[in-house]
Amino acid sequence: MSQTYDEEELSDNVSNTKAVFSRLYGVLKPHWKTMLAAMVSIALVAITDSFYTLIQRTIIDEAILGNNRAILSQMYIYYGIIIIAQAIFVFGFVYLVGLQGERIRYDLRKMMFYHLQKLSLSYYSKTPLGWIMSRVTSDSEKMGDLLTWGIIDVTSAAMNIITAAIFMLLIEWRLALIVIASLPIMLYIAIKFRKRIYHHYRLSRKANSLMTANMNENITGVRIVKALRREEKNLDNFKVLSTNMFKSSYRAAYLSALFMPTIQTISAFTLGFVLWSGGNMVNTSFISIGSLQAFISFIMMILWPIQDIARVYAEMQNALASSERIFSLLDTQPAISDREATISIDSMRGEVVFNHVSFHYEDDDAQVIKDLSFKIPQGQNIALVGSTGGGKTTIVNLLCRFYEPTSGEILIGGINYLDYRLEDIQSRIGVVLQTPHLFSGTVMENIRYGKLEATDEQVQEAAKLAGAHEFIMSFQKGYNQNVGEGGNLLSVGQKQLISIARALLADPDIFIMDEATSSVDTLTEALIQKGMHRLMTGRTSFIIAHRLSTIKGADQIFVIDDGRITEAGNHDALMKLKGHYYRLYTQQFRHDLESEMDPFASLELNKADGAA
Amino acid sequence: MPNNKFSYPVYDLRKVTGPHQLQNFWRMITGWHWHYVGATFFAALGALARTGMNLFLAYFIDEILIKKQFGEKLLLAILAYLGIIILQASSSFMSGKLSAQTAEGSTRRMRDYLFNHIQRLSYAYHSESKTGDLLERATSDVDTLRRFFADQAIGIGRIVLIFIINFLAIYNMNARLAWISIIILPVILAVSIFFFRSISKAYSAYQEQEAVLTTNLQENLSGVRVVKAFARQDYEINKFDDNNLEKLKRGRKLNIMHSFFWPTSDLICGAQMLASGFLAATMVMDGLLTLGQFVAFLGLLTWLIWPIRNLGRLIVDTSRATVSFKRITDIIKEDEEDLVSTELPACIQLRGDISFDHVSFEYEKGHPVLNDVSFECKAGQVIALLGSTGSGKTSLVNLLPRFYDVSSGQILLDGHDLRKYSRDCLRSQIGIIEQEPFLFSCSIRDNITYGVHREVTQAEIEMAAAEAAIDDVIKSFSKGYDTFVGERGVTLSGGQKQRVAIARTLLINPRVLILDDSTSSVDMETEAQIRAALENLMQERTTFIIAHRIQSIMSADLILVFDKGQIVQSGTHDNLLKETGIYREIYDIQTRIDSAVQEEINSVSNL
Repeated sequence: MSQTYDEEELSDNVSNTKAVFSRLYGVLKPHWKTMLAAMVSIALVAITDSFYTLIQRTIIDEAILGNNRAILSQMYIYYGIIIIAQAIFVFGFVYLVGLQGERIRYDLRKMMFYHLQKLSLSYYSKTPLGWIMSRVTSDSEKMGDLLTWGIIDVTSAAMNIITAAIFMLLIEWRLALIVIASLPIMLYIAIKFRKRIYHHYRLSRKANSLMTANMNENITGVRIVKALRREEKNLDNFKVLSTNMFKSSYRAAYLSALFMPTIQTISAFTLGFVLWSGGNMVNTSFISIGSLQAFISFIMMILWPIQDIARVYAEMQNALASSERIFSLLDTQPAISDREATISIDSMRGEVVFNHVSFHYEDDDAQVIKDLSFKIPQGQNIALVGSTGGGKTTIVNLLCRFYEPTSGEILIGGINYLDYRLEDIQSRIGVVLQTPHLFSGTVMENIRYGKLEATDEQVQEAAKLAGAHEFIMSFQKGYNQNVGEGGNLLSVGQKQLISIARALLADPDIFIMDEATSSVDTLTEALIQKGMHRLMTGRTSFIIAHRLSTIKGADQIFVIDDGRITEAGNHDALMKLKGHYYRLYTQQFRHDLESEMDPFASLELNKADGAA
Repeated sequence: MPNNKFSYPVYDLRKVTGPHQLQNFWRMITGWHWHYVGATFFAALGALARTGMNLFLAYFIDEILIKKQFGEKLLLAILAYLGIIILQASSSFMSGKLSAQTAEGSTRRMRDYLFNHIQRLSYAYHSESKTGDLLERATSDVDTLRRFFADQAIGIGRIVLIFIINFLAIYNMNARLAWISIIILPVILAVSIFFFRSISKAYSAYQEQEAVLTTNLQENLSGVRVVKAFARQDYEINKFDDNNLEKLKRGRKLNIMHSFFWPTSDLICGAQMLASGFLAATMVMDGLLTLGQFVAFLGLLTWLIWPIRNLGRLIVDTSRATVSFKRITDIIKEDEEDLVSTELPACIQLRGDISFDHVSFEYEKGHPVLNDVSFECKAGQVIALLGSTGSGKTSLVNLLPRFYDVSSGQILLDGHDLRKYSRDCLRSQIGIIEQEPFLFSCSIRDNITYGVHREVTQAEIEMAAAEAAIDDVIKSFSKGYDTFVGERGVTLSGGQKQRVAIARTLLINPRVLILDDSTSSVDMETEAQIRAALENLMQERTTFIIAHRIQSIMSADLILVFDKGQIVQSGTHDNLLKETGIYREIYDIQTRIDSAVQEEINSVSNL
């Protein structure tokens, strides 16, 4: 249903139109030369259009009625020049506007992406990914359109109307006034129409996304639909959605069909009026036949600019809302940034101390970490255990400085870590996540992510240490194998091994790992354990542990519950307590044995190997 | 739909899969044929009126202005002119309205049909097709058809009509002038078809890059922790820059094509306007044309030439509609599952005596997944199926609601061959609880009553939920039973989803139950709750349990041990323990585990 969320976000409320305009101007400013050239080109196209009408008039009045072939030839030469000139101007504005649009959208995406890299994890945890995506993809398109075609269409339309009005005034000002008086009426009606059409168009888009979501779900859950015989009821539900889609979509089409004929009919009355007065003027020789024909052309010509202005105006509100959302994203300040004076270091080795650390999220007063204190000597391995939601992940996030303590302090090597540079901390701490995140690209690229300047040999060395080398070599393309989007061409176990290799290559001073709960086959599991062990030796490490061997092997085990350490010590000591840890451990021990000794499980494993 | 205004003509859309493409298109709009004929008629009328406007101008100049007619005649002429314009405007409106009715109406019927058709396709079809692909066909391909009926089909007709009428009008003035005026046509048509073909290629290249960029962005955002953990912001920025720049480049290429096409076609059309205009003007001077005809000619010429530019676009788009139509009919051609046919007088309540008589089943010829399976059970008994993945357990239970039918042998239910029952009848009395049931994005209440084909009171729902040990969990949400599944902050675990399904099944009250028993991922307390809930559910129903652990099946009336599609052992727990075989091995392991746990505990305590 994320699509609905997005659609709801797309409201048209712009809180400060003036501010948005002035910032739009700022976006446009670097491109003002291109824009100006495009506007001049389109203006010239509009003006030459009117000249064409004037040439027609001369052809009728002087060449044909005056029977003057010299003037006729001359006029057609002018006509030829105008055609060529117009082609050049058309080329100019189509090219410039298109270029401009691409550039502005490029700039916007770039600006937003740069900014997003700076924002803290807290921003990402409270903003849905889909929302951010729409800002970068669709809002940048809308804002780009407004700043290019929006401006160009209005310029062109205005120039068309203005030149036509001037020429009409020059030819016969009384007739011209009749035409000019009708303009605001047509414009007003056109804008009303356009707004309605756009409104229904957007309703139909929204209905369409609801309809698609419904259909998607019905196909995904088709087995249950069949088992529960929901076909008829579901069809009825779907029909409601498709009817809504039909209504708004048809309404938009209906209004579009009515739109131009309405404007045309209004203009027809203007035209009739002009013909009546003009006809009488011709009869009294006040106006020439050619001039009257020019008036008719002008009136016909003006219809298009009116419809363009109406369209831009109707869609502008929405584009402004898009722009405002983009600006709000760009204005978001990162919650965590370097302090003014920082200490630069190249090592994070040393004691790690939590000193009465408490933490709560900005938008929630509930303490997630409560007055936590501990001291860990350099090189110790710590296992964090406890139920989900107890605060294990938050401790790790605090340590990485993805968040900062709301009170208390964290010292690394005797110094409050707020005094270090963020980049120093984060590049010296290695993290392996529970669900390893890989990027599209090759295995080589993914491991090298740990140390960009590493040679191929170094990458392979790290893969060997992590125990990933063998399966990588079994790929058809070896290290150049593509891992797919998000690494989805690899198994979970393989992804973990690669992320361990990545962390090993980075050679961090502190190592943090969130062990996976999902089961992998025994062989891979053994490799992962080995790789982890390599990473842990000689480094201070924090493992959110699920595997018994990891827990048992730790120097210290912290049982975390409700933001506190409830039990601490090594395995034997904690078992003797017969408390929380004892229960967790025996349950897990039994579970492990069951899955390990289940003859069916081993059967399945053999099958999986055979398939691979 | 109670609202009749929005209902639509009924038509069996299976008929649109005939051999003739044009006929299929025509059949798809059955019920709107007169609308469409009307739309075409009004398009023609509009084109005629437009030509009439220009011809009127000739009359106005020649007969009124040049002959200096005052007063009444002038007024009448102007009124007639207004009449023609209004005729033209209303024709264009009518044509637009009728084609919109056809396009929107027929695609809406198509959407509903596809939705229903897809959900009624066989289980086998769904196992082999991808959700995304089906969805794409049922939505964007249908939309391509909508545009075809709304714009392209009428558009092409309109342009051709306008062309013919205007050509005839000019021909009527002067044949030579008419022929000369269309010299450029083949050129402009060829250029525009060529252009729109190549631009659609460049456009898909542009869109591909857009997809790359979107993936890049999405991976970056969802992997934000990795990016930050390795402090790779600069690297990410460079990567995004490269992709962003590539999109800019492809956009520029597209832009250059546009910037060449429009002025080029302007030049070609302009040259024709110039040549024809000059020729016509000299003809007036030579007395071959009147001045009025000259002015009319200029207007007619404009409508003769310029629309041809768009004809290229329409023709290219039409080929897209043909492709989409084929993708849709591919789905329509598939047969729906027959839910209602039955050889029994009525769907009576089942008892639940089931016997498998030499049943074999294969998805593909020559690869049986069930091989000669025979067993019998009485109503209300519990049958446990034990075996590795792929041993045939799931295939066996899929036969019961007739998701698939046996390949050979037969299944008897209450003494009748299963295939004599309608699928509808079977499914209404067989309950299925999957390992991790799929919940729909509606309220938890609606999920519980999903598939319960009767009115259920809130009290009943809560009772079922309480029996399924999920009532407390639901009430702990701030919106209780109105909580939307998938709402931010509300995530149900696999075990909780399973309990929602249990509550639902309690309300449905089926006679036969199929249960995929997996409690591996929950803690002990929850496990006990689920087990209690399941026991509530299994009472007095014939139950098939797909078992993953031995505890859950010790009390079963019949245990079937499967290997490679065959039953290798069967009997009760006590019987099976006496035999040597897989079952006893499993049981022994269980006992060994218990002692191993004790040992592990002791090893520490004895320190």
